[in-house]
Amino acid sequence: MWNEDGHLSDAQLVAIADWEITGREARRLEGHLTACWHCRSRRAELERTIGDYVRAHCSESERAPSMDEPRARLLAKLVELSAAAPAAPRPAPPNHRLGRVAYGSAAACLVLGIGLVLYFSVLRAGATPIPDGHLTPGATRIVTKEDLCSSQDFKSFYPIPARVAFSVFEKYQIQDPRPRSYEVDYLITPALGGAEDIRNLWPQPYASGEWNAHVKDALEDHLRDLVCTDQIDLEVAQRDLASNWINAYRKYFKTTRPLPDHVAFSVDPPWEH
Amino acid sequence: MLVPGPAPLEYEIVELFTQFRNPLLRYVSALGLPIADGEEVVQEVFLALFQHLRQGKPRTNLKGWVFRVGHNLALKQRMRNGRREKLYGSDVANSEHLAPEPNPEQLFAGSRRREKLLAVIKELPETDRCCLYLRAEGLRYRQIADVLDISLGGVSEMLGRTLARLSKVEEY
Repeated sequence: MWNEDGHLSDAQLVAIADWEITGREARRLEGHLTACWHCRSRRAELERTIGDYVRAHCSESERAPSMDEPRARLLAKLVELSAAAPAAPRPAPPNHRLGRVAYGSAAACLVLGIGLVLYFSVLRAGATPIPDGHLTPGATRIVTKEDLCSSQDFKSFYPIPARVAFSVFEKYQIQDPRPRSYEVDYLITPALGGAEDIRNLWPQPYASGEWNAHVKDALEDHLRDLVCTDQIDLEVAQRDLASNWINAYRKYFKTTRPLPDHVAFSVDPPWEH
Repeated sequence: MLVPGPAPLEYEIVELFTQFRNPLLRYVSALGLPIADGEEVVQEVFLALFQHLRQGKPRTNLKGWVFRVGHNLALKQRMRNGRREKLYGSDVANSEHLAPEPNPEQLFAGSRRREKLLAVIKELPETDRCCLYLRAEGLRYRQIADVLDISLGGVSEMLGRTLARLSKVEEY
């Protein structure tokens, strides 16, 4: 489409710059451009505008939040999906020979499926800041809000025995954990009624990106304050911690990323044995 | 390594996520979603992609597929947010967007043109704006046409029209 003055339209000039016009048509338009100062000058203007826009666009992209946590979360969900609903095998054809092939394929799929689950269990171990919901669903003890809030030494009770910590690492298939790399942590903190139960414990890595054990400690302290000042119910705090503590952090601190003060915040001791 | 043979699908999805998450998050944020909602939409897209590939559906043009599903989910989420705002009032002040915040450097002369460009883009019809964002994220015209459900010629016209408007910014 040429414009009224016999020059190329802006759409044509942009499409040429984008290599969206090929073949004979491209040669015809390039031929015109070679001869036409007006069109070449206009194309240069449009290219400069693209450059300006791209710079503006890039300055926005530099502010994208870190990818570590969302990627770990996606991986955990994919593993969960795979385990919950393995891909349905195709029905075997009524031919015996083909049937044997189909059984062979199904067996191979099964082996591959088990391998995948094991592989991702290993991959998952120590890599995600959110515990495996099957291994650590969370557990609470029967306690009232008043009991919890009247306790002054809530920050120092319930140390985790070494043998329990080792059982937790074993459950998550972590061999020879590096000292001070993990906090064997209560999913629901005892300060909010969490139970001393292996179902409520998991090895939370300090080095799992920005959503690490320090940040969770800060959330636990904040939730306890909210519960004890009647701003939220104890059950709500427990449920939020057990379902997805990162989402809970975002919700209660009204932020998408951990606050700088919280990244180094620590109440619970690291695992050192 | 316990798994023999080709890379497992989960691994492939995570690789694709690494490749496309930032562009897609930028795009859905540009459609008006707060970052937290944008992140959720991106997660949904890749879980849907996992199901799509697991069912043996076509692998052609996965980038276009990811943006098309992301576009549709983002519009749905935006509609839900709009309804919630109507019911409970706006909490826009509390939600963080990817929109740029001016810093001292940007307050220099060069940023004035940038601010003007962004102001003009804000005034564009939504489809024109989406077209520009998608092109900036590296989508070809055919992929943009698929995402926005418009013709190939339509994409070309919109981009030409938009860049022509932006090129006049200094004259404003």
